Amino acid sequence: MASLITCPHCGVRPKEEFSIRGDASLVRPAPTASDEAWHDYVYVRANPRGRTLEHWQHVAGCRRFLVVERDTFTHEVHSVTDGAVFARENGR
Amino acid sequence: MIRDYYNRHALDEKLRGAPRPAGVNHLAIGHRQAVAMVLAHAGEEDTVQQVLSSATEFTVRFSAPGEWLVVSESDTSEGLQRRIDAFCAGRAYVVDQSEARVLFRLSGPSTHRILAKGVGLDLHPAAFATGASANALCGHIAVNLARTGDDTFELIAPRSFAESLFDDLMAMGREYDLTAAFAG
Amino acid sequence: MTAYRLTAGGLVDRSRSLSFSFDGRPLRGFAGDTLASALIANDQILVGRSFKYHRPRGIVSAGSSEPNALVTIGSGARSDPNTKATVAELYAGLTARSQNRWPSLGVDIGAVVDLFSPFLGAGFYYKTFMRPAQLWERLYEPLIRRAAGLGRAVLERDPESYEKSWAHCDLLVVGGGPAGLMAALTAGRAGLRVILADEDFRLGGSLLSETQPIDGAPAHVFADRAVAELQALPNVTLLPRTSVFGWYDDNVFGAVERVQKHVAEPSAKLPTERVWRIVARRALLATGAEERPLVFGGNDRPGVMMAGALSTYANRYGVAAGRSVAIFTNGSAGYCTARDLSAKGIAIAAIVDSRAAAADAAPEGVRVIRSASVVDTRGRLRVSGLVVERSGFEELVACDAVGMSGGWSPVIHLACQRGAKPVWSEALSTFVAPAVGGGLRVAGSANGVYTLSGCLGDGAAKASAIASELGFKPVQDVLPATGEETDPSFTALWYAPGAKSKAFVDFQNDVHAKDLGLALREGFGHVEHAKRYTTSGMATDQGKLSNTNAVGILAGMRGVSPADVGTTTFRPFYTPVSFGALAGTARDKHAASVRKSPLHEWARKNGATFVEAGLWYRSAWFPRAGEKTWRESVDREVLNVRANVGICDVSTLGKIELFGPDAAEFLNRLYSNAMLKLPVGKARYGLMLREDGFVYDDGTVSRLAEEHFLVTTTTALAGGVMSHMEYCSQVLWPDLKIRFCSVSDQWAQIAIAGPKARSVLQQIVEDDISNAAFPFLAAGTVTLKGGLKGRLFRISFSGELAFELAVPAGFGVAVADQIMEAGHAFDICAYGVEALNVLRLEKGLPTHAEFDGRVTPDDAGLGRMVSAQKTDFIGKHLSARYGLTAADRSQLVGLKPVDKEKDIRAGAHLLREGMKPSTLNDQGWVSSACFSPVLGHHIALAFLKSGRERYGERIVVWDKLRDQEVMAEVCDPVFVDPENARMKA
Repeated sequence: MASLITCPHCGVRPKEEFSIRGDASLVRPAPTASDEAWHDYVYVRANPRGRTLEHWQHVAGCRRFLVVERDTFTHEVHSVTDGAVFARENGR
Repeated sequence: MIRDYYNRHALDEKLRGAPRPAGVNHLAIGHRQAVAMVLAHAGEEDTVQQVLSSATEFTVRFSAPGEWLVVSESDTSEGLQRRIDAFCAGRAYVVDQSEARVLFRLSGPSTHRILAKGVGLDLHPAAFATGASANALCGHIAVNLARTGDDTFELIAPRSFAESLFDDLMAMGREYDLTAAFAG
Repeated sequence: MTAYRLTAGGLVDRSRSLSFSFDGRPLRGFAGDTLASALIANDQILVGRSFKYHRPRGIVSAGSSEPNALVTIGSGARSDPNTKATVAELYAGLTARSQNRWPSLGVDIGAVVDLFSPFLGAGFYYKTFMRPAQLWERLYEPLIRRAAGLGRAVLERDPESYEKSWAHCDLLVVGGGPAGLMAALTAGRAGLRVILADEDFRLGGSLLSETQPIDGAPAHVFADRAVAELQALPNVTLLPRTSVFGWYDDNVFGAVERVQKHVAEPSAKLPTERVWRIVARRALLATGAEERPLVFGGNDRPGVMMAGALSTYANRYGVAAGRSVAIFTNGSAGYCTARDLSAKGIAIAAIVDSRAAAADAAPEGVRVIRSASVVDTRGRLRVSGLVVERSGFEELVACDAVGMSGGWSPVIHLACQRGAKPVWSEALSTFVAPAVGGGLRVAGSANGVYTLSGCLGDGAAKASAIASELGFKPVQDVLPATGEETDPSFTALWYAPGAKSKAFVDFQNDVHAKDLGLALREGFGHVEHAKRYTTSGMATDQGKLSNTNAVGILAGMRGVSPADVGTTTFRPFYTPVSFGALAGTARDKHAASVRKSPLHEWARKNGATFVEAGLWYRSAWFPRAGEKTWRESVDREVLNVRANVGICDVSTLGKIELFGPDAAEFLNRLYSNAMLKLPVGKARYGLMLREDGFVYDDGTVSRLAEEHFLVTTTTALAGGVMSHMEYCSQVLWPDLKIRFCSVSDQWAQIAIAGPKARSVLQQIVEDDISNAAFPFLAAGTVTLKGGLKGRLFRISFSGELAFELAVPAGFGVAVADQIMEAGHAFDICAYGVEALNVLRLEKGLPTHAEFDGRVTPDDAGLGRMVSAQKTDFIGKHLSARYGLTAADRSQLVGLKPVDKEKDIRAGAHLLREGMKPSTLNDQGWVSSACFSPVLGHHIALAFLKSGRERYGERIVVWDKLRDQEVMAEVCDPVFVDPENARMKA
């Protein structure tokens, strides 16, 4: 776990200012999608060793959901992106 | 017009009694300032920022992308709202927060050390210069923090947390004989 | 007297004599002493009994690696157990007590354990106390805990205060010895923001006991000058008495500063200890090296100490640990100590050298016994002689103190705390720091550089490189001049051969060399297994002196290199840190923030009893004179609301304002019921689901203008709903044009409920609020008489005619006072959250007691609030799955006790009559219950399988917690006014 996160809006901040919501790679299925797709979206989570995308909300700062790309093994943070920017870039 | 109702400050109980003389390190509690949240319309964020930062009638604090806290020492809350509306000309929503926020102004040579006990930001002038502002955690409480001078910072906190933040700041400042009073 | 204060020398202030006590004995020392140096000056080397065998133990070291000299300092609530006497700074009035002895240090009854020690080998606890298992908690563990001992924690409240602080720097230097001081000077002169932390109360490290001059002056003078220069630099922060205990991700370090552990009368303005979180762009470890003990028979006898510690006590503190000192060494450091002591006039009994030949110079006239081993020691509470063996012949060397030197181990713990393992260096015969990237580097003895000039140069060079890297221009300085030096050398000796008695590896946990052999024979030879099997390195000193030797011994027994054995895992904390320091200010009223409603003072004036609800203090009930129980107050408040009128503070509800052309669409997706066509000026009850289809929160939505809404949430989920909305708008639907912000703190909100509510309110509101002008679920702006603008909502949580009036927070008390005044003629009363709860229960309205995360809208009787028309909303898809729509799900019902005198409590389970309690027979549970003053008996809301088909049925309310069973009748959950006539009146 990182001690510090560099918020793209607020700068370097201690992790206590953030609240972690979990996997940021999930895409909310269409309402008409299959039960399986919805089941996967709501219940199934990978537990990767290595790089992962997570939503960290900067609750004590700008309150933006950030997509933190970090390594669960080395704890290195590779990138931090605004959640809305990430969502748009990934075509949601 | 508001005439007949007494507006009770969130720290009335805490600061009641004879005001003590302000020490070298002093916590002044804003008594009557207008605060508004300005939320830019989609696509108007840059314009609103430019318009707001060009104003001299109030100060602007960064809150989030497209969202700012605007503080005025002279306007009433309605006056400030009208003024911002005029500036932004339909590019932003303005929400009155005058009653929702309490302003703490910390000044004196030890402010930096006092704040470091609660705030994780690097407050070195090279990292957080005069004029800088941001939302941040102070102890357990999320505040908007602004540097208004070399040795002066302002914290704007939610009203319901005001007593707790006050207690926290006074504890953080006891080493430096921090005093407190309502701003004159 | 064997140990004594030298007549001159040392850095103690001989003009300031300090009184202190040890085990009740009044003693004196000097300012600048540690407790340990002062004890030695008073010939008190014996300081404790060992953990397991209760063997007498003495001071071994002169620093934080000390395994034996753990004492309790202070008394009463201010007792600090397990304080190392070797780092505790002496102050006037200090009281210290030894630990783990009874009845006294000299006569310890527990020492009989040592006689049975053949039965107490490694793994003894596991083997002996295994069976029967139930005896472990009741008998074995308490026994072992009493016998095996450290200091005792006191039960009184800790009167000390603590705090935390952040710090940011370009360079953190850990350690203020020659390398650290030079690094700080170099970086400080170049303009870097530098923090220099050292665990000692005086900066200088080994310079304070160094005999070699620097720049022609004593080394400690050089240190003092360096400190003075650093103090004058505004970009440098010096933190003496500060132990850097942890290295965390992103180059954040934890450190604890003992701000006033060393003062008799602490200042109320300062914390006792302060934890620093240091964010460092770069860090330099200049932590020095630890001298290794030698593992030989009887090496734990009091008076056997580290050779370097003997030098430190003599040179820095002016204290001799003995009058005739023997040295046992495997390298040049032992000779160095012999020269240091000899120069102070202390006799050297002999130097026992494990090596066959060495060029090291012994002081004139001192006998050197080469190729020799110490196989045992003599003496009881104090060493009196060494049994030395050479070429098969034994001789006794009389002495009253022993200096042992087994080579050097660099102090590299911090560098290994984030997963990287130390690396074995054959050349240095020790483990050195792994390469951990540019953020943390190692300099000086910690880097295996053991000469004074080498340490000064290494510190300067490393700091210079860091300065350049960070874009600073280092000032090129000439290094301070030192004399001729030869690199200290040693030949590893893990286990002195021929031990005739226990040869201890880990003094603090009483682990001796044979224990490691046993671990290996029993299959626990892996270093991590051996550690746990023998407990070597598991004491509070974490094996600072013992670990390298344990690895060397295991390697020797296995016939491999120490590189193949490896080390155990390094973790924070480097030295123990008190819980108080880690908690910081987060205790009492600073433990969590308190939130107060803008109406708090109004409630207090009206005599409210407050209850904590999350961070909030809410008014629970308003007792009046003569009311003896809370129930009396609550019953009166409820009856008065039903008969007349009451007002209640509901300011704690979450309030969020939304704006934008897509605000209606956003809310329509957020709530399960339809929001798109909510008219302006109307409020609507709304239900939010989680994506899994279960109820998340409920509240109201009011449309203030076409593109302007106000949403309320429950108090408990105000923060959660805000985050949920932010997630939906930022991540799920970033293209919806909306903005929102919390206005929870802006408004004081007052509920006015009861048949006379309108009559009361109309007196203070300008606008027409008749049923025609302001019907049920109306919402809008009103003007109070006097001009104040507020917001009024015709919503009810009690089933009565009710309004919620919101006014700017600061005016809340004034308006509430005015309502009370206006309501006086109508018998108005204030009511709290307890009455609020009874009122909603009588009306059958669910809250979070019902919405516990397992409840669907239909379970709660709110199935009509799930829109079938909307194409999408949060929770739509999964709320339609089979499991959530099955007919036998538990449904919300009401319960009435058959015997009206009986009560029902929340949490009870429901059973069919005559059925045994079991998971299979479980019919449901009681979610809320109360006494209904209107009905005159208890009522409850419960979830019962297919409950809505079972009205009239009798069911057993089984309450195992209170051991009671009550027969109840299942009924409709709405106990009062099922036609909603009162609410809409």
